[in-house]
Amino acid sequence: MQRSLSFEIFRYAAIFTFLALSLVPTIWMISMAFKPIAEWQASGADLTWWPANPTLDNFRFIFGESGSDLIVALERTAGRPILASLLAASFGTLIAMTAGTAAAYGLSRFGAGGNLPLALIQLRIFPPMAVMIPVMIMWAFLGLIDSWYGLALIYGIVTMPFSFWLMKTFFDDMPREIEDAALVEGCSRWRVFLRITLPIMRPALASSALFVFILNWSDYLIALLLTTRDWVTIPVYMASLSSSMTGQLYGAKAALGLIAAVPPVIMGIAIQKQLVRGLTFGALKE
Amino acid sequence: MTDMTTQQLGAAERHADTALHEGAEERRLGLWLTLPAQLLVIFIALFPILMQVYISLTDWSPLDGIPWYRAYELWIGLLNYVDLANDPRFWSALWRTCIVMAICVPVQFLLGLGLAILFVDDFPGRRVLYSTILVPMMVVPAVAGYMFFMLFQSGGPVNDILSFFAGRPVTIAWLSDPDLALFATIVSDIWQWTPLMFLILLAGMVSVPQDQQMAAILLGASWWRRFWTIVLPRMKTIIIIALAIRLIENFKVFDNFYIMTGGGPGVATETISIYIYKVTQQELIWGYVAAIALAILIVLSIVSALAIKKLRSVQ
Repeated sequence: MQRSLSFEIFRYAAIFTFLALSLVPTIWMISMAFKPIAEWQASGADLTWWPANPTLDNFRFIFGESGSDLIVALERTAGRPILASLLAASFGTLIAMTAGTAAAYGLSRFGAGGNLPLALIQLRIFPPMAVMIPVMIMWAFLGLIDSWYGLALIYGIVTMPFSFWLMKTFFDDMPREIEDAALVEGCSRWRVFLRITLPIMRPALASSALFVFILNWSDYLIALLLTTRDWVTIPVYMASLSSSMTGQLYGAKAALGLIAAVPPVIMGIAIQKQLVRGLTFGALKE
Repeated sequence: MTDMTTQQLGAAERHADTALHEGAEERRLGLWLTLPAQLLVIFIALFPILMQVYISLTDWSPLDGIPWYRAYELWIGLLNYVDLANDPRFWSALWRTCIVMAICVPVQFLLGLGLAILFVDDFPGRRVLYSTILVPMMVVPAVAGYMFFMLFQSGGPVNDILSFFAGRPVTIAWLSDPDLALFATIVSDIWQWTPLMFLILLAGMVSVPQDQQMAAILLGASWWRRFWTIVLPRMKTIIIIALAIRLIENFKVFDNFYIMTGGGPGVATETISIYIYKVTQQELIWGYVAAIALAILIVLSIVSALAIKKLRSVQ
């Protein structure tokens, strides 16, 4: 469709204005992550948008190297929270994908579990805060408080609606001829699912898993309630990067924030074709 | 002759038998496949809700030194619900959450729709700009909270930009003024979730068939008229879905608000999730929390059931 020149100018102007505003917070965090301590608190005329003396001190600091000017040494470094986030999000994704994929196949092919689509949407609608009291009691009873596997279990359940709906739309879209051919050859249903359907679905499984991983990685509230010390995740740990003595450790927070923000952004861009499908529970496919 | 019929009948019977057997096998496999998901749903929905009903009828708190199943010793019947109806902090948190939704969702929708219109046809740089616009929604919400916490410091970059335009130093204490704090938290939410609206609305707009629009162009219909009478009506379902998703998620809002202000100053930015969190962690009156949570669950179940029913009839 031919559009006028003035429209083209307007289009770029509008998009770039939006982007300029939208990128300010991200750019500020990146810049802060590389600023030395002297520039953290700078304001007014001293405030610089880009570090005057870029340094990696903030990253060294959160991993426990006291090479920087900071007087305090960290009681706990960021290494363990990063490990906690990775373990909880990965195994949570594994649980969500296993249960979600199996159920999606069962519904898509054999019409089993007809109550699941609605039940899982309801599960998604409820605010996590509104079921956390019993979950905290149950988790305490099962000895799952402050453990990566306890977090992984609840993450797996909370994100199962997404893996289920995503995989259901993928299975619905898959032509059945391939499976039928294998059935005629004498394969059992179970074998067909494991040996034929799942390998064909590998790209769909990969993008669904990445989508679910991003959701798990983004959690804050659940980890805040279910972890206390040993297995706090990155966002919970970030709050400890300030004290009455040192004030806000802006640079350290920004450095850790950057570490936390990079993986989901890369993954999200990698699967942007499937984002719409995932976010709308498969109602819309791009 | 009779022999053949018996044979045929036998074969047909055997065939029917295997078909029946296959049907049974498929049914069994279907049940096995859906079993883990069903168990997890029961585990996270049924137990907690029954437990919630029970605890909400008591005055139990984890500090009482008795296990939760003996909470009946502190039975108070429906008193928690009476308290809830008369709890001004609860109602104000609920009202505040509604205000936040009433501002965030329409602004995100209009910005997202505007951007989607700009992106609907191809132009040089479209792919890169599209990906860049999506970045905020992939930033961990808690990290976004820390980002905006830094931005809105009185010596921070927001005031720096304002100073530049005002021509004099601006030192507004954003996060310690009740109204400005609410404004700042709303800005962070709009920043993070406008890309999601854009993403969904654009996908919906692209899928509107071109033929009718072409016909309308030939007939000389203006862009505005085409958009209003052809494109928008066809996007109805998508728009409802996009709004529903954002309303649901916005109602739960916690991470960025809690990190930026902790619900303060005072209770100025206390949304319903922050309110429940605070009563859970600081005041530890879990019997009462269970009553709040249950009330919200019931209302949401009714609203969502009605909404889903409505949406199905629209589709």
